[in-house]
Amino acid sequence: MLIAGALVLAASTDLPFGTLASPGAGMLPTVVVVALMAFAAILLLGAGASPPLGAVDWSDAPHALRVVGATAGAIALYVPLGFIATVALLLFVLTYLVERKPLLGALAFSGGATLLAYLVFATFLNAPLPRGLWH
Amino acid sequence: METTIDSLLLGFSVAFRPDVLFYAFVGCLVGTLVGVLPGIGPLAGISILLPVTFGLDATKAIVMLAGIYYGSQYGGSTTSILMRIPGEAASVMTCIDGYAMAKRGRAGAALTIAAVGSFVAGTMGVILLTAVAPPIAKFALGFGPPEYTALLVLGLIFLAYMSSTGLPRTLLMAAVGLLLGCIGIDVMTGHFRYSFDIKELGDGIGIVPVAVGLFGLGEILATPSKAVTGMVAPPRLAELLPNRQEWRQSALPIARGSVLGFLVGIVPGSAHIIASFLSYAVEKRLAKRPEEFGKGAVAGVAGPESANNSASTGAFVPMLALGLPTGPVTAVLMAALLIHGVPPGPMLVNEHPQVFWGFIASMYVGNLMLLALNLPLVGVFVTVLRIPYSYLYPLIIMFCIIGVYEVNHSIVDVWIMLIMGVFGYLLRKFDFDPAPLVLGLVIAPIFELSLRQSLIMSNGNWLIFVERPIAQVLLGVGVLLLGLSALSLLMKRRDWRAKLARAEAGEGADAV
Repeated sequence: MLIAGALVLAASTDLPFGTLASPGAGMLPTVVVVALMAFAAILLLGAGASPPLGAVDWSDAPHALRVVGATAGAIALYVPLGFIATVALLLFVLTYLVERKPLLGALAFSGGATLLAYLVFATFLNAPLPRGLWH
Repeated sequence: METTIDSLLLGFSVAFRPDVLFYAFVGCLVGTLVGVLPGIGPLAGISILLPVTFGLDATKAIVMLAGIYYGSQYGGSTTSILMRIPGEAASVMTCIDGYAMAKRGRAGAALTIAAVGSFVAGTMGVILLTAVAPPIAKFALGFGPPEYTALLVLGLIFLAYMSSTGLPRTLLMAAVGLLLGCIGIDVMTGHFRYSFDIKELGDGIGIVPVAVGLFGLGEILATPSKAVTGMVAPPRLAELLPNRQEWRQSALPIARGSVLGFLVGIVPGSAHIIASFLSYAVEKRLAKRPEEFGKGAVAGVAGPESANNSASTGAFVPMLALGLPTGPVTAVLMAALLIHGVPPGPMLVNEHPQVFWGFIASMYVGNLMLLALNLPLVGVFVTVLRIPYSYLYPLIIMFCIIGVYEVNHSIVDVWIMLIMGVFGYLLRKFDFDPAPLVLGLVIAPIFELSLRQSLIMSNGNWLIFVERPIAQVLLGVGVLLLGLSALSLLMKRRDWRAKLARAEAGEGADAV
């Protein structure tokens, strides 16, 4: 947080600070960043009393990483490929590759859920979903 | 009084319209499901379904979204009692004695007491909301920018004071939120701030991607699918009735929880969670046999369940009357009203009486619907829990992507959601509460605008904040709370917030 705060502070230099009587666009962000760094420093000073970093349970991290990877892929493809192809692919990857569900079950689930969602959002709610390849 | 009754009648004429009734029912049903299902809370539920309301008018939208909020408080008790898994964070306290009652074969009675307590508290909360919100709104009509600035400062301080994760951690999160809220065009000078040539960031960071990321995706990332089990047997309908002694033991805790919850709900912070904790502590303190707590005390279910429902209603007071969100859920609900062109705040009751009173009246009806839904259909909701989590969370991710994208049709928003999801996961790991971040994000633009307007009013004189009586009082309370927090920090005293943190970590009745 201290490093992030310092970076934001550096990025704030081109914003006009103004005066106390007439604050500019840069005043609030600067004040907030300084406060953020102060709170981070307080936490850092008191870090000795907290449990060590190694005590945090990271056993779920590999699963979380796989989910993040699949979601990032889906976001990247969402507009170019469109709703149907992307969401079906996302659901399939998550159920078959991440959760190791049987192939047929994963295919049926991803296809069925995608079609149902498309019907609900595009047909019933008239939501303009990205069409991608079908544009 | 007569005016209030007339206005309430107007509200009922709106709430009883078949279309409004339908959306209230949908909200309550979805809310119950959201409460039942672990891994998805009311905030994620509301945020994901926000785009669904775009085609509706403001009344139906807010009626449905609010139904999700208070419906989730009802549903959260089901998994707490039957599985010892809090379906919703506010149900943590219900796990302790509710599950103990279930183990003794009194699951049905515990569910009924939780549902009836929720109904009584929810209805009492709406009655208090009906009585309190309009006069507060009238009073707040006299607020100018200095009063709003002071109110927002007090709101942030209150949030820090009420937090169970400690003052520096809460203020750090609020600062991150305030900083995110500064992104975009400065409305007074036109300068672009931290938009890094991404045109979508010119309008700032929306609350929906941040809320869905932190609370929806973040929760999923922190919940490995193998950790969620769906094995549970619902009680039969005949087993639902508590015996006479259980009714007697629950009556006073329900009444106390209702009042306590409403009062806590008005205060900024995670009101429904704090209210259920405080109610549990009060009941344990007042009990003739405190040693029964943790082993299936009826009051340990009745009090907290009533308190969290009443608190969720109390949270609507500052939102509707002052336009001040007291937590992330009310912040998203405020955003929903703004999207529909209805600014919440003191003018709401006069400028949009149909929305204001229709919404309040719908909550009376909604509480009745929830009572009818939650008892006879408990078996149906428990069946939902049998859907393997490994199939459920991909669907939730799908809804997150659709929901966030549909707000602005912006893929940048969806990327922000993913980044916030990872950030939310890390925050959970390091024991930070993400709620102040969301609140900071919402408050930042309002705070900056009212601060700069105040200084324009006073020709740059900061004394304007201490010269006006209301602002003076609000800031005085803020200074007092900061002093109290600093004192307990210096003395390293274990107060109720530390106990709440232990209870939330699942350390049971002994923590309270």
